[in-house]
Amino acid sequence: MPVKGIRTVASARNGVGAFILQCKRLDFHYCNFWASSRGMLNFLTKDLPAFAREHPQIEIRVSPRPAKHPVIKGHYINGHEKAICVRNLEPEDIMKKTMILKEASGDKLKRTKKPVTSVNESVRGIWSPYHGDLRGV
Amino acid sequence: MKRLQLQRWSSSVLSPRARAGSRLHQQLYSTGLRLQSTASPLQSETSIPDDVEHVDIGDPGMMRHVRRVHKRKTQLQYPSPPVDAAIKSPKLAALHARLYLPSRLPVQTLARTLVDASADRNADFNNEALATLGHDLLTHYTSEHLLCNYPRLPLSVIFAAMYAYVGPKTLAAMTKEWGVDWATVPGGEVDPGLLQFKRIDPGTKVDEVSQLQSPRPYAAQKGWRMTVSSKIFYDDEFGDAIKGSAASNEGVTTEMASATFVRAVMGAIYLHAGRPAAKRFFEQHILSRHLNISELFNFSQPARDLARLCARENFEPPVAKIVSETGRKSRHPVFVVGVFSGQDKLGEGAGASLAEARERAALAALKGWYLYSPLNPRVPSSMEEEGAAPWKPAHVDVGEVIV
Repeated sequence: MPVKGIRTVASARNGVGAFILQCKRLDFHYCNFWASSRGMLNFLTKDLPAFAREHPQIEIRVSPRPAKHPVIKGHYINGHEKAICVRNLEPEDIMKKTMILKEASGDKLKRTKKPVTSVNESVRGIWSPYHGDLRGV
Repeated sequence: MKRLQLQRWSSSVLSPRARAGSRLHQQLYSTGLRLQSTASPLQSETSIPDDVEHVDIGDPGMMRHVRRVHKRKTQLQYPSPPVDAAIKSPKLAALHARLYLPSRLPVQTLARTLVDASADRNADFNNEALATLGHDLLTHYTSEHLLCNYPRLPLSVIFAAMYAYVGPKTLAAMTKEWGVDWATVPGGEVDPGLLQFKRIDPGTKVDEVSQLQSPRPYAAQKGWRMTVSSKIFYDDEFGDAIKGSAASNEGVTTEMASATFVRAVMGAIYLHAGRPAAKRFFEQHILSRHLNISELFNFSQPARDLARLCARENFEPPVAKIVSETGRKSRHPVFVVGVFSGQDKLGEGAGASLAEARERAALAALKGWYLYSPLNPRVPSSMEEEGAAPWKPAHVDVGEVIV
């Protein structure tokens, strides 16, 4: 057989075709009695329905967590989980925290050093010392 | 091309009446107990809530409890979640939105695509039929894309590329990337947004090919050489031996169940939203994946292949010439060798020895030939679009070199 095929798996490029939001579930925990949950309770009654309507791709769970500070937990497609404590926060700040969780990829935060990372080969090619004119010393 | 009214075909999934009827049919054939009853099956099915009403003790909390117990009891008798549970599942609704599925595809059908044949044997409620259709569509679109974009690819590389785009491994990876979880054990009470299948017992041999199911004669002979041409005739789209469907009491692997789910989603989109939506879904989720086809080649003797190719195409026989070199007597020499056919340079490669550089040069030349891609290629299925330009025949190559 002159040539054989090598089996691989085509790698996903999220956003090149379809974009899959990486946050798949948000859990909202609150307490009915503690004052630290006051802003959270306001957020749940006023802002959360609109947020859920705007982001149908996120499953939203609301559950009481008595005698604890309010917490938002994000569950991600890569299996990771991120939690933010929102005690004593106003509804607007809680919305900001919710957006942080929604936009996160689930990975650990990384420093990006290059403005562009690509899997494609460089159009210009790699410089070769063996090509081109010889330079006199 | 007139589109078929396909919505009607899948109506059996959508109506709960059909579900109850088919369940009872199944029960009729399996046990035969219903034959002794004169009661209509559908009436006896709807009589359950009436019984609940008769337990009237005036306590709404008790009534709620009784209803819940009855509901759970009716759910438990099914091997997969009932159709009406799909509307209430937030997981399923989120998955529908996450994949940007067309609104014409109801969540009930999406729930059906998540039920594997190993979880629910009834073909009216599992995804087997949808997956068959989806598999045909996926392989059809992928193969026409490959053949029109790279008409000179050797067949073994086409098999590998097909496997990389729509093979079970890729589809299983897609299921993960879509955020689909699976239920540990399937059942009627399970959330319909989870993938449901019965797991295969540990230690079962998955890759075994039985003689009965493969159309290839002498399939059980292990050491026999199988030509690529025979793979076209006897084997599946990926050059693997065709395995028959697993016995109904056996489970499946997670990979197989995930692949079946993705295929079933493709089939469901085709049925409910039509061909353009299915094609769009294919382009967005499959073709958008990154695959470097030049990395799929595994040559054993590239210099020999190149010589045969030049002889077939009536080129002058290839000659390797040193383009440049450095450090011939040193510990790290580098030779840059070009393969020339007459005045034309076919390929070039660098290596630490003359032989290695020549092999690399021949390899580059062969890849340059095999990876030819015509400008603006069109696939046959693009003719199905509205107002498509007249068809121009695609480039059809004579094929790979036979050595």
